[in-house]
Amino acid sequence: MAFQILLNVIIAVTWMFLSVSFKPTTFIVGYLLGLFMLFLLRKSFSSRFYLDQVWAVIKLIILFFKELTLSNISVLLLIIKPKMQIRPAIFAMPTVLEKDWEITLLSSLITLTPGTMVIAISDDNKTLYIHTLDLDDVDEAIDSIRDTFEKAILEVSRS
Amino acid sequence: MKTNDLIIQTTTKLVFFIIFLFSIHIFFAGHYTPGGGFVGGLLMSSAIVLLLLAFDLKTVKEMLPVNYTVVTAIGLLISIATAAGSIFFNVPFFTHVYDYFNIPLLGKTSIHTAMFFDTGVYLVVVGVTMTIIQMIGGDE
Repeated sequence: MAFQILLNVIIAVTWMFLSVSFKPTTFIVGYLLGLFMLFLLRKSFSSRFYLDQVWAVIKLIILFFKELTLSNISVLLLIIKPKMQIRPAIFAMPTVLEKDWEITLLSSLITLTPGTMVIAISDDNKTLYIHTLDLDDVDEAIDSIRDTFEKAILEVSRS
Repeated sequence: MKTNDLIIQTTTKLVFFIIFLFSIHIFFAGHYTPGGGFVGGLLMSSAIVLLLLAFDLKTVKEMLPVNYTVVTAIGLLISIATAAGSIFFNVPFFTHVYDYFNIPLLGKTSIHTAMFFDTGVYLVVVGVTMTIIQMIGGDE
């Protein structure tokens, strides 16, 4: 990913030198040309074409805003009920993510969606302890996080 | 009982640079807009304090092997030298001058001697704040 972006920038700078104009527009044209060349040679790199990764990041952002809206509405419904029918609980969720930034991102996304909050991480970075506002079924809660955030983050970090 | 500090450490690695950049921006913005040496220095110290909170004292000392007493001394020297420079031109103490220079990358830039004085203030604030915090925080 980083190598491909660097290569793309070098191609763009080379294009600026070839066309002897050092304006931002020339850089953008060179960048687009470099993007096209990288797309043609995408099979020759050890990692995948980097626009896929950029697209995965955009998808993650969209997913986050969707989850944020839905969980906000569900927490609002819990609040305006006349009777407090909540079942707070803390459960452990094993995670398959390994890198520091992945775990941090997952924890932040879980915490930022109302109703769930990461309160601790185990010492071997394999289990997240999550406090939830209203728990029906532990496996269901774990699966919902797995299917949304963890999958999207894995999609981003897949090389 | 040592808790797992993974999240705060990963976030600190990112946020430190943002605070550092903001501190430099505030320092240079001080001439025409709010900001200047004092606020910039405090922001820089707050970035280092964030490192101290996320990691421990030993690790931060390895990352930034700086003696903050020396930083304070250098800052005071710069400020005094800027103020005393006016003696050589037969004008009152603390007289500032400014002029326009053509710097290769930045183009026409106004350089004012007050900026060097502010650099001294910046270094003194960083040095003093960090000395106080390390004196209180360090138990060796």
